[in-house]
Amino acid sequence: MTRHRTPRRRRLDELAPPPRIAAQELDAQLDLLDRQVLDRDRVQTTTVDDIELTDVADPANPDPARPPELTALLTGPVLGTRIFGGRPPESRFERIPWTDVSEMGTVIRLGVAADSLDATWAERWVRDRIIARIPGGTHDPQ
Amino acid sequence: MKGILAVALGVLTAIGGFLDIGDLVVNSVVGSRFGLTLVWVVVVGVIGICVFAQMSGRVAAASGRATFEIIRERLGARMALANLGASFLINLLTLTAEIGGIALALQLATSIEPTLWMPVAAFAVWLVIWRVKFSIMENVTGLLGLTLVMFAVAVFLLHPNWLDLGAQILQQPSPHSAESPATYWYYAVALFGAAMTPYEVFFFSSGAIEEKWKPKDLAQSRLNVLVGFPLGGVLSIAIAACATIVLLPKGIAVDSLYETALPIAQAAGKIGLIVVILGFVAATFGAALEVTLSSGYTLAQFFGWPWGKYRKPAQAARFHLVMIVSLIVGVGILMTGVDPVEVTEVSVVFSSIALPLTYLPILIVANDPRYMGKLVNGRVTNFFGLVFLAIILVASIAAIPLMIITGAGS
Repeated sequence: MTRHRTPRRRRLDELAPPPRIAAQELDAQLDLLDRQVLDRDRVQTTTVDDIELTDVADPANPDPARPPELTALLTGPVLGTRIFGGRPPESRFERIPWTDVSEMGTVIRLGVAADSLDATWAERWVRDRIIARIPGGTHDPQ
Repeated sequence: MKGILAVALGVLTAIGGFLDIGDLVVNSVVGSRFGLTLVWVVVVGVIGICVFAQMSGRVAAASGRATFEIIRERLGARMALANLGASFLINLLTLTAEIGGIALALQLATSIEPTLWMPVAAFAVWLVIWRVKFSIMENVTGLLGLTLVMFAVAVFLLHPNWLDLGAQILQQPSPHSAESPATYWYYAVALFGAAMTPYEVFFFSSGAIEEKWKPKDLAQSRLNVLVGFPLGGVLSIAIAACATIVLLPKGIAVDSLYETALPIAQAAGKIGLIVVILGFVAATFGAALEVTLSSGYTLAQFFGWPWGKYRKPAQAARFHLVMIVSLIVGVGILMTGVDPVEVTEVSVVFSSIALPLTYLPILIVANDPRYMGKLVNGRVTNFFGLVFLAIILVASIAAIPLMIITGAGS
């Protein structure tokens, strides 16, 4: 004997998952800081050393209607100042614009290639000046 | 058939890869001074490394994340940086000891000053890391390291008084009145550190990602660990037993690998010596590869750099640069004329100080379903994990006071 479901039941099964609620809550400390960042090809890019927020007009009395916005993930020297205090000069900020972020989970995924970012200059510098110049540096291990 | 071969290969390389310069030196020092009274420490250490190696392999396979990424996510930047500093420095010390160990082993084979071998050894280590595939590297050094089975064979060839040896295992504490209890416990901590060195966990979890383990490979990994490591531990005990039978009655102190190999020469002659020297070279070389890679793994994972031997060196530039610099620093330390055996003893004691830093975060993440899904720790694993964390903590706290009281075991 063959069982068959009612058409009504089948339609329920085929329903798409409910849409995500518009304001999904995110704890910057838990879900952002110190997370690994991977680029669109799953290449390790950096770790989130700090985040950049827009200024609030009056920090003493924040206006709930106009909260600060997340503009960029920061990396580089900012890690040192986050741990030991202080603030690096404006020219030393290495930013990954928040608009490049495509997905968040236990890792943060970017929608762009790591090499296209300014923030990964140190990796490229070491590669081009040192590692690629040593014989065998650009070959697969055998 | 192919499956059985793969399983056998995994287990054999785990046995051969278990021993490094720390195990070789400390077991033979302990055997020559305390007989077999400290065997219980090796047993405890091996169970501990089984629990945590198996756990870190499972974390890597289930989450695809390596240990130090997780340490930073869990402990935050500040604590993780302190942890990185300690782990990296101790790793560097272990690396120095392993390169010194290769040089000592090559000295046994060639009678050429170890100082001359050190840069050669470091260059060879770099070359293998630069050019050789991960799986080949692991299997070759692991299989050659199996020649250290010679120590187990030698115990039988030496025809010891078995009852006497067995009685020593139960005699507590050391029956040799010349040694103070503090020295006994100092070497207990050293043996523990030698069995559970932190780099093994970094290497094991990052290696799992290098070899792209998936949850279905976990059965094989568990078998490698649960069969291979205890058999490696048996070899450790055999080294101590050889020293107990030959060196202890004559009062010979272990100052280099020469004394470690002496019982083999007595039991099995030249052939035995050749086999065991090959084993020394393979074990120290294999460990040097693992420690060098670990220095790259820890730093790259903390900062989120690209890493891994499965990439071309140019695609993991800073990872390779860290390893090159570490090797140069290691050789530099050795070139100051320090005794590699002393470096080894210090490195295993400092390893036991750093153990809680590595093991606590793994235990925490292995219980987090967001990383582990269905593969979170069971109750039995957690029980053992917590018991060993307590033991590790005690050893870690006791290490420095014991070192000061005993003048580093002298």
